Amino acid sequence: MALLEVRDLKVHYPIRGGILNRVIGHVKAVDGVSFEIEEGKTYGLVGESGSGKSTTGKAIIGLEPVTAGKIFFNGKDITSMKSKTKDIRRNIQMIFQDPYSSLNPRKRVLDIIAEPLRNFENLTKKEEKMRVYELLELVGMSPESIWKYPHQFSGGQRQRIGVARAVALKPKLIIADEPVSALDVSVQAQVLNFMRDIQKELGLTYLFISHDLGVVKHMCDEIAIMYRGRYVEQGTRDDIFENPQHIYTKRLLAAIPDINPRNRDEQFAFRQEVQKEYEEAYDEYFDEEGLAYSLKNISDTHRVALPEKG
Amino acid sequence: MEVKDMQLESQTTSAESPSGLRILWRELVRDKLALVSLIFLIVITVFVFGISLILDQDEIVKVDLFAINEPPSEEFWLGTDYGGRDVFGQLIIGTRNSLSIGFMVTLFSGIIGVVFGLVSGYFGGHIDNVMMRILDFFMVLPFIMIVIVFVSLVPSYNTFTFSLIMTAFLWMGIARLIRSKALQEKELDYAKASRTLGSSHISIIFKQVLPNIVSLIIVTMTLNLASNIGLESGLSFLGFGLPEDTPSLGTLLSYATNPQTLEHRWWIWMPAAVLILVLMLCVRNVGEALRRATDARQRRG
Repeated sequence: MALLEVRDLKVHYPIRGGILNRVIGHVKAVDGVSFEIEEGKTYGLVGESGSGKSTTGKAIIGLEPVTAGKIFFNGKDITSMKSKTKDIRRNIQMIFQDPYSSLNPRKRVLDIIAEPLRNFENLTKKEEKMRVYELLELVGMSPESIWKYPHQFSGGQRQRIGVARAVALKPKLIIADEPVSALDVSVQAQVLNFMRDIQKELGLTYLFISHDLGVVKHMCDEIAIMYRGRYVEQGTRDDIFENPQHIYTKRLLAAIPDINPRNRDEQFAFRQEVQKEYEEAYDEYFDEEGLAYSLKNISDTHRVALPEKG
Repeated sequence: MEVKDMQLESQTTSAESPSGLRILWRELVRDKLALVSLIFLIVITVFVFGISLILDQDEIVKVDLFAINEPPSEEFWLGTDYGGRDVFGQLIIGTRNSLSIGFMVTLFSGIIGVVFGLVSGYFGGHIDNVMMRILDFFMVLPFIMIVIVFVSLVPSYNTFTFSLIMTAFLWMGIARLIRSKALQEKELDYAKASRTLGSSHISIIFKQVLPNIVSLIIVTMTLNLASNIGLESGLSFLGFGLPEDTPSLGTLLSYATNPQTLEHRWWIWMPAAVLILVLMLCVRNVGEALRRATDARQRRG
């Protein structure tokens, strides 16, 4: 049984307007997304800005209201906020995108990391401090940081505090919402490798949300590509990177920069070719509203939103 | 571990960041005018509350027909009023009363306003809508008129009950301000993060959001203090404040409505007028310095 199962998840926001402030339409932020994550795996959710990937993550943890669909955790329905029992809440945690706003500027590191412990575990002051020291050690930070405030740290250090807070309760699932996109490249690798290390150490499962395909390739076992709230393609890492089927995926992959300058002309020609194919085949791959079609299996693991006829 | 803890604590306290409160304090010290005002304010407050402990209020408000309108002398430092009452004693007691009402009204309206604003702004949606309509209702009530009706209907009231009635009409401004700030703060990731970490709404409101707006609250309440002292004096001046046997700065000032007193007996109203001016200026200077401290671009310190 999968650790997390999402079935036909929809998150729609009403657009209000007119004289009586009636609902005149919906923004379909997430429109029929289904996936499963096995325990101990990393599932990557990729897409451009506004494709609904963050909303999917937030809907799972309960920060965004779910319009329709079901979410199962360990086989239990956790779709509504009420059904999220204390036990389930402590087993799903989140790492936020922006390490600057996700830590309360008025709180010391001790209070920040101890917040989940105070909510779920009855520890004495001393035990609590010991746990925070352990967690700081786990994320590779010095013990004296405990008395400092968030603004005394760099972005990478802050993000590691965020990670320490997320793993404090030893959760099963961590939703990582673009955990490294606010960090510079040298720190990105540091945080990512460290996330992989603690994944092994604690047996974590990640839902890894990102727009950076390089990062996703480095981290994820399974990958899904989103476009305008819908899945375009889903498969294992090899399925997506070696055998992309949808033109949108192909275009995304073509956009990954190549650092070898000798291939520059080749790369340029390849991109032009993909772009041309994208423009020509756009009407074929997307419906009248510009949305992707529903997914079709092309192998056991690989599913693509191919048009009806072929 | 114990020893290590101790060492760490002593090491890191010196490296602590300037907190919001410390920034406020630094700005105060840097702005000499505000610092002098603060010292003045503290001296006046301590002096007034200290002296009033030894003074006997009943003795002071007792009418003495043999000592009417006497100029300042050895016995009466600031002379006497038309009832032969000692003006100096009335000034001290009056300042104490005016200050206590100012402090109490500021504190009560601050507490109500902050809690109301935080709850309304944090929850938003329908709760916010309903709470803001309640607030609007209080806003449109004619404050002065209701206070006048209150003092003419209720036979006896003291500084405490009088500050309660004032509070009932003065919490809305701060509530609005705090609400707008709470609306901003709850959208930040740290509030959402707290939610995912299992904190309840109440604990997020008071433990996470409140510390982030403390400096704003201090600034607003300081500035409110000045206006509340002025408001109380104004009401007493009009005769709708405290009764005559409970002196206030406003009642002393209202003796000046008599042209004889205004022209020939300056000792009755002048000290009170000067004191009101000094008090309000001091509080205002302190408040302005604090307000500047909350905006990094205007800071001097």
